[in-house]
Amino acid sequence: MRGNWIQLMKPLGITILILVVLEIISTALLPMIGLTKYRVPFNVLIILYMGFKLETPYTSLLILVLQYTHSFFTIEGWEMGTIAGVMICIVISYLKDLLHLSSSIITIFVTQMFQFLWFVIVSSLIYLKADNFSYIVEKFWRFLPESILISLMAPFLFGILDVIWRGENQRALGESV
Amino acid sequence: MRLIEDKDRRLRAILNIIVLLFAFVFVAKRRTTFDQTSAFENLLIDSFAPIQSSVTSIRGDVADFLDHYIANINASKQNITLSRKVEALENQIYQFRELARENKRLKDLLQFGAEIGYNKVLAQVVAWDASSDFRVLRINKGLNDGVRLQAPVVTSAGLVGYIYRLTDHFADILTVLDNNNRVDGLIQRVRAHGIVEGFNNELAIMKYVSRAEPIILGDVVITSGLGNIYPKGIRVGAVSRIERESYGITQNVEITPAVDFGRLEEVIILSAEGDEIKKREWEALDQMDETQEEAKGGNLK
Repeated sequence: MRGNWIQLMKPLGITILILVVLEIISTALLPMIGLTKYRVPFNVLIILYMGFKLETPYTSLLILVLQYTHSFFTIEGWEMGTIAGVMICIVISYLKDLLHLSSSIITIFVTQMFQFLWFVIVSSLIYLKADNFSYIVEKFWRFLPESILISLMAPFLFGILDVIWRGENQRALGESV
Repeated sequence: MRLIEDKDRRLRAILNIIVLLFAFVFVAKRRTTFDQTSAFENLLIDSFAPIQSSVTSIRGDVADFLDHYIANINASKQNITLSRKVEALENQIYQFRELARENKRLKDLLQFGAEIGYNKVLAQVVAWDASSDFRVLRINKGLNDGVRLQAPVVTSAGLVGYIYRLTDHFADILTVLDNNNRVDGLIQRVRAHGIVEGFNNELAIMKYVSRAEPIILGDVVITSGLGNIYPKGIRVGAVSRIERESYGITQNVEITPAVDFGRLEEVIILSAEGDEIKKREWEALDQMDETQEEAKGGNLK
């Protein structure tokens, strides 16, 4: 069974715990030391990891669960992030033969590229709902530093997630991405 | 063909489609004015928020530890006793000053709006929203403390926003800096109406102000009382930029909020008995809209 749902439960639980801790740091600690303008979107990084490395058919459900957890810390809701995450995972599944996260530099670069795609999808949805282009421009200037920070953290966090997902579910992890 | 033959691929495609459809439906249905949480969401938010709250309070203790212990670890032995005494006294003075400042802030908050017929609930900011797209604050008071959905939130300086999401012990405030928050505003000096909308982390924009209105920089903007959320006369901010195009009938006015959101620690929630009446009014209006739409549908058939 390549994508056994039961096998995914334990690493998923640990991943949710990591996400909760990171969200608490991002929402409570960073604003209190003066970082009120920017927020670190750790949920995006974890979802990108799932797209890059997991080969289970349940990826979309995993994304849904992670986004639902994220929604407890933001009024953004789970929907837009889920749409962006699932769409990106579909794109990644078609590009798997071209993407090889063999070094930290490539991981950072590829993560940045897909974060840009995430931004495009979410911004399109916001534009459809709000019909406000200046808001998208303003969002873009916040997206740049936030996404660069996330990309720089990607090799480190991917390493931790590799340990969590490889230990419990080796076959769910893509061997060459 | 591979999709039909490969079970995993088929399952993945089906799940992707279901999850995407599900998410699209909920995006379309999502309300921007307030969010009614389920019992499960209440439970989880109430579980995570105290951790956010304690992280906020631990920060002070850690800063205190770093300032008063680690920094002095290399002091000479002769000075240890004296340093400790001085340190303890300074610490005490610092604490007294903090208490005095807090006292002043709380007094200002409680005196503010004495004439407004609302129950005032004092709350502390415990966290910010996890997404920088939203200017939302989480506070440590909820339904059990008398806070109501869509209740206005203020400080002694002016308007903060309104309650967007609520659990038993915590609440999320949609601030006036958020793009989804629209306040019917009034330029105090010339009594010109407009809609104040959040723009970025420091500014809001007042839209639909007639071009003929003689607004000047520094004009104070207050709430007009229209819109059924904010009471009339609460200070929103001051005009910091005026933009008049060479065409059009309106002018865009940039507002610097009266509240310094970067230093916001305590807020007051104005909760009134009237909130229930307001809620019923909204429900009645919604019901009326639905009935009219149904009637239109029936006529078309």
